[in-house]
Amino acid sequence: MGGYGDVQLLREDGLRLDGRKVDEMRPVSIQAGILPAADGSAMVTHGLNVAVAAVYGPMEAHPRKIQRQDRAVIDVRYNMAPFSTSDRIRPGFNRRSREISKVTAESLESVVLVERYPRAKIRVEIEILAAEAGTRCAGITAASVALADAGIPMRDMIVGVASGKIEGTVVLDLDKAEDNYGQADLPVGILPNTGEIAFLQMDGDLSPEEYDLAMEYNFKAAGEIHEIMVEALRARYEESEN
Amino acid sequence: MAQLVPNLLRQEVARLAEQDARIDGRERFEGRDFTLETDCLYNAEGSAKVTMGKTVVYAGVKFEIRTPWPDRPAEGSLMCGAELRPVAHRKYEPGPPSPESIELGRVVDRGIRESGCIDMNSLCIIPGEKVWGVMIDIHVLSDGGNIFDACGLAAIAALRTAVVPAERFDVGEDYTLPVKGTPIMASFTRVGGRYIYDPCEEEELGGDERIHITIGDEGHLHSLQKGLRGVFTPAEFAEIFKVAQNKCAELRKVVAEKEAN
Repeated sequence: MGGYGDVQLLREDGLRLDGRKVDEMRPVSIQAGILPAADGSAMVTHGLNVAVAAVYGPMEAHPRKIQRQDRAVIDVRYNMAPFSTSDRIRPGFNRRSREISKVTAESLESVVLVERYPRAKIRVEIEILAAEAGTRCAGITAASVALADAGIPMRDMIVGVASGKIEGTVVLDLDKAEDNYGQADLPVGILPNTGEIAFLQMDGDLSPEEYDLAMEYNFKAAGEIHEIMVEALRARYEESEN
Repeated sequence: MAQLVPNLLRQEVARLAEQDARIDGRERFEGRDFTLETDCLYNAEGSAKVTMGKTVVYAGVKFEIRTPWPDRPAEGSLMCGAELRPVAHRKYEPGPPSPESIELGRVVDRGIRESGCIDMNSLCIIPGEKVWGVMIDIHVLSDGGNIFDACGLAAIAALRTAVVPAERFDVGEDYTLPVKGTPIMASFTRVGGRYIYDPCEEEELGGDERIHITIGDEGHLHSLQKGLRGVFTPAEFAEIFKVAQNKCAELRKVVAEKEAN
């Protein structure tokens, strides 16, 4: 976390710089099936973030050394487009995107019924087209909808949400300024039907009480986003029926 | 197995070609329905989304301040790159830029650069010290055939909406990037022995060589590229060049209409 300290992130009236309440999420919209070349796809717009996910497979896993005899492997690539941030980023994988790809894959492997496809691979491509804090969460949400759109059996979807702390106050869904100058960030991936957590990261400084409140916000937001995810898939099926 | 589907497709498109038909029912020089959207990406200084049939591409423009080359102290620079990432098709694999993506980026780059639509001198901030570097990045999200034309259109449309972020770099006020002209690319692939315009995925798979023609506002050629194995006759080129003139003029009108709104 930046911790510059001298940037005011909460207004006199207790609202945040963009006018949101502390437990208010940025607007979220989701579309399923937007990439015709993919087996499943989704676009998630979360505030100013735009994340696109494509799913290919299940397909033969190669090279063979990555095959698992008893289940499928999920191969996730999280990538930020060069024009997704304020300063252009050089194309290609970096340490940050490698780590996010790894933990995202592991969380998706805990909801996809991977044992149904031994020795297979399911490719999940996450492309961030616009980044304003919260892209890994938008990416997880997009990946879940894309997997469902591809017809891949899952125990549940994963909803990516984050809470954090600014000026000593726990808030839901940090925007760019809050992420840069705030004190903590807690991105999680929640299974909305079972209430389990498949993805967890955190950095900054949170007391146990603050953690509990941040998680409470996260679960509340996950329920809201889940409804939008289901609606996107329903719209996709209604569209393909016609 | 890898060759089986292309071979079957090859036979099928050849059979259709005898009746001058195409696999998706189009006329020989008929393009697919397409959409163009501009100013669609928050952090890009200029952006565009193009869909052509099953093809989806985005282009984003970014600026940076750099020191000019010693022999050209008052000239900025333009760079255009394309990425064929694994998101776009199951055939694309992760790794360093493939020859295909390098060719794609360079062909689009040449068409824009050589049309002279960007005056490099207009990108100068302080001669010998500071100039703008303009970077167009093209992101192919779904390859449903003819990504060249989609990328060319997205790149020039994004460039034409770009706003130079001078305030953010503390060198004056933001202003619209001056772009004189709208170079447009038209691509043809030999399918079943004759050239067709705007190949779809199946036609590329069952077809042969391709020709990319970029034409500027005055109807002049700015970039040509032949890709893949095959040869063509001057008469064949004359025919598709004429078609390309019309196609490019039509697309240029669409870009202008988009900007007028």
